[in-house]
Amino acid sequence: MRTFNKLLCTIVLCSFILAACGGPATTAPPATEKPPEPTAVSPEKPTEAPLAPTTPPSATTKEAVLRIGWGSEPDTMNPLTTYSTEATEIIRLVYDKLLEFGLDLKTEPSLAKEFAYSTDGLTITYKLRENVKWHDGKPFTADDVVFTFQFIKDNSFGAFAQWLINMTEVKATDANTVVVIFNKPQAFNPGLIIPILPKHLWSTMTAKDVETFPNDAPVGTGPFRFVEWKKGATLTLNANPDFWGGVPKASKIIYVLYSNEDVMAQALKGGEIDIVTEVPPTIWEGLTNVENVKAASMPSFSLHHIGFNVSDNANSKGNPLLKEKIIRQALNYAVDRNQLVQIALAGHGRPGDSIIPIGLTEWYLPIPADKQMNANPEKAKEVLENAGYKDSNNDGVRESPDGKPLEFRLIAIETTSVDVRAGQLFKDAAEAVGIKLDLQTLDENTLGNTVYNSDAPDWDIFVWGWDSEPDPDSMLGVVLCSQIGGNSDVFYCDKTYDEMFDKQATTVDYTARKAIVDQMQLKFYDEAVYIVMWYQDKLQAYRTDTWTGWQEVPGGILYNVTRANYLNVAPAK
Amino acid sequence: MLRLEFIVKKIGQLVVTIFAVASFNFLLFRVLPGDPIRLLARAGRLTPEAIDRLRQLFGLDQSVVTQYLYYLRNLATGELGISFTYRQPVIEILQERISNTLLLLATSTVIVLIIGVSAGMIAAARRGSKIDSSLVITSLVFWSLPTFWTGLVLIIILGVYFHALPISGMSTAGADNLTAFERILDIGKHILLPTITLAIVDMGQFMLITRSTLVDVLTEDYILTAKAKGLPSRKVLWNHGLPNALLPILTTTALYVSLIVGGAIQVETVFSWPGMGRLMYDAVLRRDYPILEASFFFTAATVILANFITDILYMFIDPRVREA
Repeated sequence: MRTFNKLLCTIVLCSFILAACGGPATTAPPATEKPPEPTAVSPEKPTEAPLAPTTPPSATTKEAVLRIGWGSEPDTMNPLTTYSTEATEIIRLVYDKLLEFGLDLKTEPSLAKEFAYSTDGLTITYKLRENVKWHDGKPFTADDVVFTFQFIKDNSFGAFAQWLINMTEVKATDANTVVVIFNKPQAFNPGLIIPILPKHLWSTMTAKDVETFPNDAPVGTGPFRFVEWKKGATLTLNANPDFWGGVPKASKIIYVLYSNEDVMAQALKGGEIDIVTEVPPTIWEGLTNVENVKAASMPSFSLHHIGFNVSDNANSKGNPLLKEKIIRQALNYAVDRNQLVQIALAGHGRPGDSIIPIGLTEWYLPIPADKQMNANPEKAKEVLENAGYKDSNNDGVRESPDGKPLEFRLIAIETTSVDVRAGQLFKDAAEAVGIKLDLQTLDENTLGNTVYNSDAPDWDIFVWGWDSEPDPDSMLGVVLCSQIGGNSDVFYCDKTYDEMFDKQATTVDYTARKAIVDQMQLKFYDEAVYIVMWYQDKLQAYRTDTWTGWQEVPGGILYNVTRANYLNVAPAK
Repeated sequence: MLRLEFIVKKIGQLVVTIFAVASFNFLLFRVLPGDPIRLLARAGRLTPEAIDRLRQLFGLDQSVVTQYLYYLRNLATGELGISFTYRQPVIEILQERISNTLLLLATSTVIVLIIGVSAGMIAAARRGSKIDSSLVITSLVFWSLPTFWTGLVLIIILGVYFHALPISGMSTAGADNLTAFERILDIGKHILLPTITLAIVDMGQFMLITRSTLVDVLTEDYILTAKAKGLPSRKVLWNHGLPNALLPILTTTALYVSLIVGGAIQVETVFSWPGMGRLMYDAVLRRDYPILEASFFFTAATVILANFITDILYMFIDPRVREA
């Protein structure tokens, strides 16, 4: 009996452990049958990227591995379905476009050696580079380009289709010439954004196939070849020895996933990684005085803004007083954007004005001082007073001439702490001029669905942000009439503005286009439908003792529209 | 005979609970505000055709009832659908993450149990001594440490200051040409910090429960009888004490498993362990219903199964349960 009890104890203790492992463990085969290597933990077999047999492991040169820390993972390697910054970054290195952005954001040749617009601006002719090979060894031809453009246009794929809406025809006139014809002149060259896909691998797929195609082993023509993606851990790229622009100095890039930003910063300090893609302000501060680490701060393509519901929809439950421009302008005057940057953003950004972020240096227009509506509560009071919004019952809140109080609901995303802080500052600033705001925080999805309920929007004012693309179309196009129900978050609709937009989008000449873009920025600023609070800085950090040649440019060292930094950096001696 | 009835009854309860969980699971994500397609559309500026195609693809154009029926059918056939974000079958994504999480949980649970229960036994056997009180105090202090914070402190001390252990991930990034043995060793190194963290924070409860139950049991009359018979104290502890103290320990273990399935999310986050925790976190942010449903279902099923196994074990160790 005693031995039995002892045995029972042991069995029960063991069972706890099994129970603790959950269901599957109880049905696992006996330990003796297990293979020598525990299958549960053995890392995935490397995805067989169809590498051409041209990469002999060079015994002479030491492998130069660039290790990059990132805080979240790509969604998919499929360029036509991805939405994540991370995947876009990888795709930018694996695939080429016809043209690339340089470090100065100027257009540079890529798969197209040169390009020319017809005099009417309707036709773009691309001369393609010769002797370029896909990563699987097949030759790249004009057919691949024609296929990619047509495939995206026919199936309206992803974020690219919007750039081909006006395309009527794409054809190869010879093996190295592609002609693209539009029905309107194209100010933005689509060659800068569309990754060229290999026809021999994609042409057999239907639109539905593409939607579920993970593209586990992407094949491009770019400077780096995809090696493997261990989900939740690392993603590896190798230098493409056949790259038309010369072999990159980084023979291997490994992206390492950190789910905690503090730990990522520690890894950078400890030398486990060479550069981090993004760090929050508090951690960035902690990296400013670390030996061999440079904390970099650069203007970005992003902005945070306060938006007013100006919907003309009869079902809108937004406060109609916000459709009065004078009230919106008064709120613009009331708020101090410099204070917002200093307090809410801890100084890591620049005060905002135009809807085009300051990082788009070629297009951004600083609003002239005499037109600025900023940090002037006296002026705010004055315009309200003159328009008849007076505090007649002395409760601190002004009323409209017909007795409606200037009281609005303000919503912000609870997890975006900078927005919540900005919301509080905005609330105080408004209160100081006699406008009452009721701040409520929501999760991002709820806020998105509340704001974007264009059929019956039930909100007054929000705090949110935008990431712009490097072309002014991107931000200017958000507030078009046609975007109500689409991207427009304030339901602004002005026919003159829309006409100006169409005009700039079809003006190929930079100076002429810039003139229209400037007018639009001034007009939209005056409408005061957005209060652009700030353009936040991009905060990144890198080691100075492992790799040299990182260039700090608007948009960031990494996660930028240019991939030049990846091609320029070299191992430190 | 009675035993069989008991087991059948328990299995019946198991099936009903799992069905209820599955249904609730489906409902939960449908009542959450937020349209996943809307979320994709803002990020990607999709055309209306592309949005329609996505809705169709994920069955979001169907009525909720139809979606529910599809969901049940798929669940029954083990087909868990396609992830909204990764555009890959959920089962493929989940498999590896689950095994990574189980590896971490199994290792740490074994260690937590061994350390916790033995410390409890030592303390109970020498109750009132200095060893006893220092064990109790240590356990209480450790038990009150936040997991997240403990992990970070260990990272800074053991990882950054002493450079003794890797601080993140499950294997060394870029170490490709390892033999099987080196690979196990590599994973072993990486699993140490998260396991130590869990052990420190969680052993306390096992220590305390073992100690207090054993102290109760050891003051019973029959223990006195056993001692009076002249049995060595070791035998008294192992043969007469521990079997009667098992029940509460078993209950604590079942509860622990339920808690740790969620609690491991914190540890996985601190140490970037490629397990379920991070996957679920991202899926919530991205409203990836298929991933969420599958991983929540898995988590719930683990808890239910752990409780089921505990119920069955009760029957073996406690005659009152089987005769009730």
